[in-house]
Parts: sequence; C-alpha cells; structure tokens
Amino acid sequence: MTTKATRSFPSSVSFAGDIMKRVLIVGGGTGGTMLANHLDRHKFDVTVLSASSEHMFQPSLLYVAFANASANIVRDERRLLSRHVRFVQDKATLVDLPNRVVATESSGRYAYDFIVLATGADTVTSQIAGLDEINKRFGDYHSSVAQAQKLWRSLDAFQGGTIALGQATPICVCPPSPVEGILLVDRLLRQKGLREKSRLVFFTPYPRPYPAEPMNEIIEPIMKERGIEIMTFFDVDRIDPETRTIISIEGDSITYDLPIVIPAFIGAKIAFEPANVIDADHFVITDKETLHVKGFNNAFAIGDGTNIPTSKAGIAAHLESYVVAKQLAGKPATFDGRTNCPVDLADGRGTFVIGSFTAPVVKKRPSRMAHLMKIMMGYFYWISLSGILDPMFEVYFAMTKPKPRPELSSAKVRQTKVTPRGASRE
Amino acid sequence: MSELAPHTIIDSRGSSCPGPILDLAMAYRRAKVGDVVELWATDPGVKADVRAWAAKTKNEVVSIDDKGDKIVSVVRIVRR
Repeated sequence: MTTKATRSFPSSVSFAGDIMKRVLIVGGGTGGTMLANHLDRHKFDVTVLSASSEHMFQPSLLYVAFANASANIVRDERRLLSRHVRFVQDKATLVDLPNRVVATESSGRYAYDFIVLATGADTVTSQIAGLDEINKRFGDYHSSVAQAQKLWRSLDAFQGGTIALGQATPICVCPPSPVEGILLVDRLLRQKGLREKSRLVFFTPYPRPYPAEPMNEIIEPIMKERGIEIMTFFDVDRIDPETRTIISIEGDSITYDLPIVIPAFIGAKIAFEPANVIDADHFVITDKETLHVKGFNNAFAIGDGTNIPTSKAGIAAHLESYVVAKQLAGKPATFDGRTNCPVDLADGRGTFVIGSFTAPVVKKRPSRMAHLMKIMMGYFYWISLSGILDPMFEVYFAMTKPKPRPELSSAKVRQTKVTPRGASRE
Repeated sequence: MSELAPHTIIDSRGSSCPGPILDLAMAYRRAKVGDVVELWATDPGVKADVRAWAAKTKNEVVSIDDKGDKIVSVVRIVRR
C-alpha cells in the first residue's frame, strides 16, 4: 500500500455554498464516462480515475480484425468528459470500501463520499494451457487494437485449411461477437475466393451457437446455410500448439490451421477491502437492480466488471449509468437487465438481441436497417457519451421494450443475498 | 447425497442472455468429482439445457424442480 498522502480535493463547495459530494468513478469506459457526464456539476465533485487516457470503442475491434478497419476506434478520454469532471490517469490498486478511499499506483490515495466501480473486464490467456502461445501468435479481437490488427494479418496470410473460432470459456464480453466473427470470416474467405479451400469450425460451450434460443433460431440456420460446422458443448480445456489441436473438457478436439480463440475474461485486478465483494473471477458482486456493491450503500458497480446476470455489453453499462446517476440525485431507479446487442450477419443484414431480467430474448427478424444501426452506432457512440442523445435513446428503448414472461411478471425476481451469482460454497 | 459433498448454489434467476447455462458451465470448470451444483433459474429453457449438458458431459442430473418462482436443477459432478 502506498504511504502517500490521501487526496480529498477539499475545495468542493458549490456555487450555492453547499459542500459538494465527492464521487469517485474508477474506470473511464462507456459506463464511467457516461455517468460522469450525467452528474449535476453543482452537486457533485466528480473524479474519473482511469489507467489509460485512451477510450476505445470496443465493438470496432470486430471490424479491425475481420475487415481491416482503422478509423473511429480510439479517442482521448479527457475530450469525452465534461469540463467539470476531473480526470486522473493512474491505476487503482486498492479499493478500501469501509474507509472510503482508493489507493493508486503512483498518485496517492483518493477519498470519496460515493464510489462507482466501472472497472470493466480484462482478457486473460493464462488460465488455459496453450492459449497464451496461440494468442500471441495469431491475435484476437477482444483485447486491444494491436491484437485485432495481428488477427487481421493472420487472416490475410491464410491460404486455405481449417479455421476454428470460438470462446475459451463460457464468459464472453459481447455475447454475439463469436457468431459475428465466424460469419465475417466466412464472408472474407468468399471475397478472397478461398471459401472452397477452407473448413470453418465454430465451437461453443453452449448447447447451441447462440445461447438464447429464440435468437439461435435465426442464427443457426444462417450458419448452416453458409457451410459452417458447429461443435456445441465444446468448453476449451487446453490447446496444443504442437499438434494444432484444441481439446475440450468434454473430450472433443479440433485440429486447426488458424485458431481464433476468444480469451477468458476476468474483472480488473484491483485489491478490495473487504475481499468478499468480488467473486472467483474478480467480478464485483453487485445487486442487479440497485447496482450497489454488496454491503455498501455508497458504492455502486456498473458495466462489464460486475457479476450481474446480463450481457457484458456497452448497452448494460449505458443503462446502468442512468440508474446510478438517478440514485445519486436522490431519485428512485433500478436496472431491469435490458440488453440491446446488435448482431452483424455479414450479408448486409443485422438483428438485435433484446431481453431483460423478466423478459426472455425475443426473436427479431434480420433487416438491413438493424445492420445500418449497428454501423451508425460506431459514430453515434462518441456523442452519446455526453448525454446529448438521451431523448432519442429514451424513445428507442420504450419502443423496443421486451414483453415480460407471463409467469414471472407478477413475481418479482430478486437476487438472493446469501448466494449471489458465482460459485459460493456452503 | 453425501452430506459432506461441497454444494454450490448458483443463482442465475433473471438471466436471459447468455442464460443460466453460462453459470452452470462456469461452475463445471471449477468443480471436482463429487461436487453437487444447484442452479436456480427462471428461464424455462433451462430444463432441456441442463439435461442436454449432463448427457454430453456424462454428469448426473439429481433433480429438476419447477418451484413456481424458480426452476431448481441439481446436478452431481461424476466426471471431470
């Protein structure tokens, strides 16, 4: 732990003379940035603490890896934050919840009245034997621009053979991205006249290519139509780069020429006091409706870094930031688990995965409009962080709200306090 | 069922996407032979998925009960 002095930014007095509440947001991704920009500058003294000043639009990595895209990927976080928000570029090392202080790698300690953990998920390749070696050699499309560019070069050099694509573990940030990846590989090989010389194998730990069944009814026939082989219940145990084989826990194997294996994901490597607010994968144990960190009313968690049972996707971080902003402003608000993930079907069409805690994913017919919306989101994203597009989103989310499951609409579904999602043992 | 077997309860209620099978698969990665995993879910699709998962992984379904507000599936890890 650092011995440097604790910073408290004491000059926090509002225009009206009230003491302003200090809100410390750890993480400058979608959720952290959006929340910072939504807090009342007259009531809150807002600091965003982030290890990097680069803000990446993560969905763009798909197009870097499979279409050699290079524009509109990264922007300077400081330019995305409102002027009243203080930005500190440093890495949080310890979040001490009882003492309301965060220790950092180099700039000291930060005291707060409210903390919001928007720390995201990191890719990790060390949990599975052989994964690190193939990841370094071939690249991936979930960790960084450099890795996505490496994967593009691997694909560009591919002249035929077997491409095996899938996720290393059951947790995947952006659940549609494995399916989108294999469909874009198929398109790329067709464009290059290599499809006839190639075998495409999609492996998944789930019972079907897309885990939510209604959406799978659209996706699986498309994959079959395009000649993509599907291996279900394929949960990666190890990879042998010598024999170019991926072996599953279930005992199946795939021999590849080019492996595209989505790494495992874990929560940010930050120490917590108390240590029991994170689960076995470092995800913050969070009330899925109020977004409070387990046991702390002045601590919230949003985005990919939580254990909330919804998609790890920008949309969740976006909607969760609204909920926390409202709660901090003293208004009641809860998160409903809404997802709204666009899926690129690689034929000019797209669809959306829409569901919530109480509404199952709906089967949404593919359309060119859905694809156009996905592409446009890459541009809207940057301005949406400021909150300027909130009225448009409000209308869209109301129009597309999924219908609750009849048998559950009256019985409120709540997370148990004893065993939040994750492997707690009794 | 042995009283001494580690018994993991996974609360996956409300999970619609990717769904409860994600939690079961994650628990399986961490489990050892002899462990018992209890999965709580609200998605009715969980029943077929748990049975298909157990058949594929050659593990044992102890019970699947629809309790009205939740579906409780209990599986014993016999192969890992």
